Amino acid sequence: MDSPKALNSLSSAAGENVMDTGSTQETVASEAAPRIPLDIRDHGSVGDAYETIGTPLVENAKMSARKVNVYYGDKQAITDVSLDIGRNEVIAMIGPSGCGKSTFLRTLNRMNDIIPICRVEGEFSLDGEDIYGSGQDTVLLRARVGMVFQKPNPFPKSIYENVAYGPRIHGLAHNRAEMDEIVENSLRRASLFEEVKDSLDKPGTGLSGGQQQRLCIARAIAVSPEVILMDEPCSALDPIATARIEELIDELKENYTIAIVTHSMQQAARVSQRTAYFHLGKLIEVGETKQIFTMPRHELTENYITGRFG
Amino acid sequence: MDTPTVFLLLIVLSIAGFFLGRRRSRTVVAGEGGARALHSLPKHYGYMAALWALLPALGLLLLWMLFETSILANIVIGELPASVQQLPESERGLYFNQVVSYARGAVDASQLSDVQVAAAEHYRELLAASGKLKALLVALMAVIGGLLALRRIAPALRARNHVENIFKWMLFACSFLAVLTTLGIVLSVLFEAIRFFQKIPATDFLFGLEWSPQMAIRPDQVAASGSFGFVPLFVGTLLISAVAMVIAVPVGLMSAIYLSEYATRRFRSVTKPVLEILAGVPTVVYGFFAALTVAPFVRELGESMGLSVASESALAAGLVMGIMIIPFVMSLSDDIINAVPDTMREASLGMGATMNETIRKVLLPAALPGIVGGILLAVSRAIGETMIVVMAAGLSAKLTINPLEAVTTITVQIVTLLVGDQEFDSPKTLAAFALGLVLFFVTLLLNVIALYVVRKYREQYE
Repeated sequence: MDSPKALNSLSSAAGENVMDTGSTQETVASEAAPRIPLDIRDHGSVGDAYETIGTPLVENAKMSARKVNVYYGDKQAITDVSLDIGRNEVIAMIGPSGCGKSTFLRTLNRMNDIIPICRVEGEFSLDGEDIYGSGQDTVLLRARVGMVFQKPNPFPKSIYENVAYGPRIHGLAHNRAEMDEIVENSLRRASLFEEVKDSLDKPGTGLSGGQQQRLCIARAIAVSPEVILMDEPCSALDPIATARIEELIDELKENYTIAIVTHSMQQAARVSQRTAYFHLGKLIEVGETKQIFTMPRHELTENYITGRFG
Repeated sequence: MDTPTVFLLLIVLSIAGFFLGRRRSRTVVAGEGGARALHSLPKHYGYMAALWALLPALGLLLLWMLFETSILANIVIGELPASVQQLPESERGLYFNQVVSYARGAVDASQLSDVQVAAAEHYRELLAASGKLKALLVALMAVIGGLLALRRIAPALRARNHVENIFKWMLFACSFLAVLTTLGIVLSVLFEAIRFFQKIPATDFLFGLEWSPQMAIRPDQVAASGSFGFVPLFVGTLLISAVAMVIAVPVGLMSAIYLSEYATRRFRSVTKPVLEILAGVPTVVYGFFAALTVAPFVRELGESMGLSVASESALAAGLVMGIMIIPFVMSLSDDIINAVPDTMREASLGMGATMNETIRKVLLPAALPGIVGGILLAVSRAIGETMIVVMAAGLSAKLTINPLEAVTTITVQIVTLLVGDQEFDSPKTLAAFALGLVLFFVTLLLNVIALYVVRKYREQYE
């Protein structure tokens, strides 16, 4: 009995929002009524022809994606998402599990290419250059768009070799001294150097989880990428290690553009300037992080950030 | 009653024990809250009763089967006339064997003396009595065991733990049996080899450069006194194994890499079974393939290039052995490369490495311990391989490292030493045991090295 009602009110609310962007107050007010805990599955009502609320597109974007559809076999994982990532900004992508945020992140440096059943449609560009174009080489693309994964995944090599891996395959250093410098700088920028400077030849897998993740960040920045994609980089870490990584993101944004997928809304609020909310493969709302967390305009966004599902 | 019937009876009794035990466990708690008052589930009490009925009786049956024949033989021989008793042991055994054959109906009475016929009648009676006694005792044992278990059933009895314990000991007994068998084989080879070394000094065997085990087995035969230098055989074995590994390791490893990293699922689902069929081809088929197809081909090819190639060459045998080992190396390496976590691939590809760089710099180093272990296992298989080399490698024990010549291997020589008429205390026959012992130690050593390599690199990489 409850769910159809919830569905109706939701779709009407969504409709209002699309038409009238000034109706935030009203939506919030109507939500003051006694709340029924919602089930995520009740929210399939956002139609296929939906429109993202807020400001998905920005001026002078570093990366842009238009009308992205991603399929795993017959299953559609992302529906019609358009999103820009601004220069030197940190954009957070949030949403319940299975909402397509990680999939979207991975389309940005073509990591989905290695999944045979995955099919990507849409237009992507990095500085105006087509990412999926026939002239694009994934080797060069991934050197410019680096990635840090959910689970720390250092190679079973020494700490030094882990960081030197990227520069070596891209031929960035011409002699041992240059390589030493790249390794030291990368470790310093990942604020790991002081902790490991005496044990650079020890295996990277022997570090603690938080250190391993910073090592992975050092490894990613060693090839001087322009964009760093982070896929839930702190989900396997304790609060102290998480705080270190967040500080690091804050410092890195001076030089890099960062897109971070996270399940922690506090983290999104702390580190990002813009936040995008994904829901069941659709990009529901994008806006300034402050606005998203204080005055979400879409009901789904609000339900998610107030912890009513997901 | 014969043994299969007794065994069947035992099974029936123990199944009955299961049902009785289960029922009794329910009746003892019928008044006090039903099955919940029991410590274990009713079926555990059933298992317990069944095992108590089965195991001791089964043990008795096995013991009976082990000692029945020798005890009966002693009784019957003891009743034979004194003239027979005084015969030498081997002749007395022959005499008694005729009795047993007659009792079984294998020979007719015309070949036997009256004494033997009478003894055979007695033997037959004893056998029938023993069968009845066996069935009776085993059944009694099963019933007593089952009843004891049934009597013990009470709500507080921890039947579950009891049954678990019995199973643990049964599993232990089985593994112990495997260890004992291995130990038995090793010891028997060792003792025979020691007898060999009493006749031929160990230094002559281990460091001798000539192998020609021709010895006179009858005094009137003319033959060389024989020399038992094992080095040419060992070198031949290593040569053929080396040729085999040169073929098998690159092909096997690279096909494993292709299958696990590049191949589409469809290609893999066809190719892997086909390659595994290679592993299923009997080695004797590989053997005549080597001898009749590959060896002549190698010889002609060599001659067309102006090389002199023996018609049975180490190269031909090694090539075919390599082909035989390919699926072995491939299958092991494929499993190991697949076991490297996907996060490693993602990390490397995400850095902009190509697939090739990822394989060379990340996957292979991470999989190296397993791959080395697999290759060493393949080597010990190559060293122990017999059929192919018997057919294709020849018999001449030449000390050479030229793969175009005929060489012989340890396994080939073991076969030739033991084929045909033998005298069991001649050094020629005993040499087979010494060779077997050496072969055993070489493969053991390889396995130990494999373990060591795997452990060393694992420490480094994990």
